[in-house]
Amino acid sequence: MADRPSATSPVLAREVARPIPQPRSRLGRHRALWAYIFISPAILALLLFALGPILFTFWVSVHDWNLIAPIPDMPFVGLENYRYILTKDATFQQALRNTFIFTILGVGANTVLGLLGALLLNSPIRARAIWRSIFFLPILTAPLALGMMWTALLNKNYGLVNEILGVFHIPPQPFLSNPDQALPSIILIAIYQYVGYYIILYTAGLQGIPQEYYDAAAVDGANKWQTFWSITLPLLRPVLLFIIVTNTIGALQVFDIVFAATTGGAETSGGGPAGSTMVVVLHMYNTAFKFFRMGRATAMATILFAIIFIITLIQLRLLRQRE
Amino acid sequence: MNKQNLFKILSVVSMMLLATACAGAVPTSAPSATSAPAATSAPAATSAPAATSAAAPTSAPAAGNPVKLVVLTHWGEEALLKPMQAKFEEYQKQNPNVTIEYQTVTFDQLLTKITTGRAAGISPDVYHFYNLWMPDFVKGGLLDKPPADVLADIQANYSEGSQKAVTYQGQLWGYPTEINTWQLIYNKKLLQDAGITKPPETLDELKAAACKAKQVDSSGKITQPGLILLPGWDSGVVHPYLSLLWSNGGEYLNADASKALFNSPEGLATLQVYQDMIKDKCIDLSAGMDVFANGKAAMIIMANFWRSTLQTAPIGYENVAVAPIPHGANSKSTALQYNWAYGVDANSKNKEEAWKLVKWLNTPGTSPSAPSGATPIGDFLTSALGAMPSRLSDQKALADRLNDDFIKAYLASTQTARPEPVVPGGQEVKTTLQTNIEDAWFGKKDPKTALADAAEEADRILAENK
Repeated sequence: MADRPSATSPVLAREVARPIPQPRSRLGRHRALWAYIFISPAILALLLFALGPILFTFWVSVHDWNLIAPIPDMPFVGLENYRYILTKDATFQQALRNTFIFTILGVGANTVLGLLGALLLNSPIRARAIWRSIFFLPILTAPLALGMMWTALLNKNYGLVNEILGVFHIPPQPFLSNPDQALPSIILIAIYQYVGYYIILYTAGLQGIPQEYYDAAAVDGANKWQTFWSITLPLLRPVLLFIIVTNTIGALQVFDIVFAATTGGAETSGGGPAGSTMVVVLHMYNTAFKFFRMGRATAMATILFAIIFIITLIQLRLLRQRE
Repeated sequence: MNKQNLFKILSVVSMMLLATACAGAVPTSAPSATSAPAATSAPAATSAPAATSAAAPTSAPAAGNPVKLVVLTHWGEEALLKPMQAKFEEYQKQNPNVTIEYQTVTFDQLLTKITTGRAAGISPDVYHFYNLWMPDFVKGGLLDKPPADVLADIQANYSEGSQKAVTYQGQLWGYPTEINTWQLIYNKKLLQDAGITKPPETLDELKAAACKAKQVDSSGKITQPGLILLPGWDSGVVHPYLSLLWSNGGEYLNADASKALFNSPEGLATLQVYQDMIKDKCIDLSAGMDVFANGKAAMIIMANFWRSTLQTAPIGYENVAVAPIPHGANSKSTALQYNWAYGVDANSKNKEEAWKLVKWLNTPGTSPSAPSGATPIGDFLTSALGAMPSRLSDQKALADRLNDDFIKAYLASTQTARPEPVVPGGQEVKTTLQTNIEDAWFGKKDPKTALADAAEEADRILAENK
């Protein structure tokens, strides 16, 4: 113990001043190399299963491929698929319009209703945990099952919803079998499924706001509206941004609910009456697997990717917190 | 082993596993027909060469060598699955070296399953397919040419209509199985209640009967539609329309399938019949097939495969009757006919065994459980599915099953029925026509514009697929 250097001893000073020695082992000497080796499976998987399909999609989109013929045999068609979709494909234009309507109304409703639900569940009400579970339950249900369930519930002739409307002397509504009501019905189904998820996200955001801010606002005499507008909403901005961006991306890619709710079983082709619920991904699906036009379908996928990318950038720019 | 070496080994192994897994997932180009295992047994074909070209003798494992065949159909419902599986079990008993993996999907998933399976290199050996898809299958090299004995059998034992239905570019591509035609099905009781003593024979009578049999409540709501339409389902919209169009003297496509002809005065008049009934509230567009099956609608134009549903439906099978498609003033009733076929994948490694199985399914007397003189598939179609078999000998051997008034009416319609045109891009043309007809039904387009738009689009599709 006597020869142990003290904190101020010249021996320790020398030790501290000396450069950190390089690890003596080979593993240590090639630390960076090993790091790359360890992450390489993940990188490889990412390249193959994420970037690879994206590049393959773009490559197919400039070819004419029927999905059956060998890949090397598909003829190159340049931008013809894009030209056709953007200038001549009336169904794509209708599908894009429906998709935008679905996105705007669906995202708007989920954003507002989710916030209202979270504010309600964040207030001191009874059985809060049970309410949260009830709101969250639909998200646990598979969209296809949910779509089929709502198809039965909204049926004009034997659906429960029309039975309830009948109690109030409201005539039966065709809902999914009427071109004017089909898309709004689909939007309502989507809201029913996803609003609980957004309530949970908002609730997490609300609980992250320090109570001191509300206390200070109360001391300053702020009313509930002023507190919400000046404290809650600004501090929820990151959650709001996340919800709007992810919900928009999901809504623009909607497929499963539409497919399940408007295909009406095994024999129908989807898209609702007179194409009223035809959305971009459903049209893409039909184009690829019903019409054997994989080139055109992948061109649609590329266009949708570009649309989502641009909209996401705009949203991020508009909603980004000011520094 | 120290930690460093353990990490090294783990990382190398994980990369190898990943590389192996990925290699299996990459689609490969279709192997040529000659890349099958070397021939060790003589082909079974001994009959005279057929008019259409037969596939070169394919190689197959020697008799007794274990073979696994994957069969894909859309007969997945419980009532259909077991009877078909029973036939495969009989085949396996007779051919102990063969194991059959029976895969089924719903009809709307069948095409997707076939195309994606092909792209992924995991195609079944045997398909049961809708003949409308045949041109695209042939174009993509998906179907194998039947061997000479199969061709000779089809040419000798099937009607010309059934042969045509599975012929493309002068080549037969598989065994015709199920025939479906479209006819007018009506509720005897509801027509009687409406004072209609016989089913409508002409388009005018159809309109009159539908409007007489309908019931509307005091608020104007249709409580009993006179006729059911089937929006949302391509065949449900297009097949009845084409049946009525042909029965009204119109045409669908021109002879070489390069131009749509439904945008004609006859086509417009046919669509106008629907429009008049919709306008007069004789049709409720939101009422589906279930409304007829529940006995709450007077008429529907449907295919015979619906028979098994109606046999157990609340309407009561005794109330169901079938009549020919109503026709125009100067035309004859013409039903649309479509077929299904069993074919073999061109990439199958066991093509000879696959054709042997398909031939067994379509040969009389091979199944111990089938009635005398009937094929296994004929037995299945008439018992489980309630459908009409294509093979002429089946129609005789199973006559007692085809003897009820419902199926007899459909069988009679095959004498004058026209097959659905089997052309490249046929499915896309059909969907385009469906969408535009629905636009007219729901008032989004006037009938003339709807047909003109559909014809313009159809012409483009047909030109692209030439």
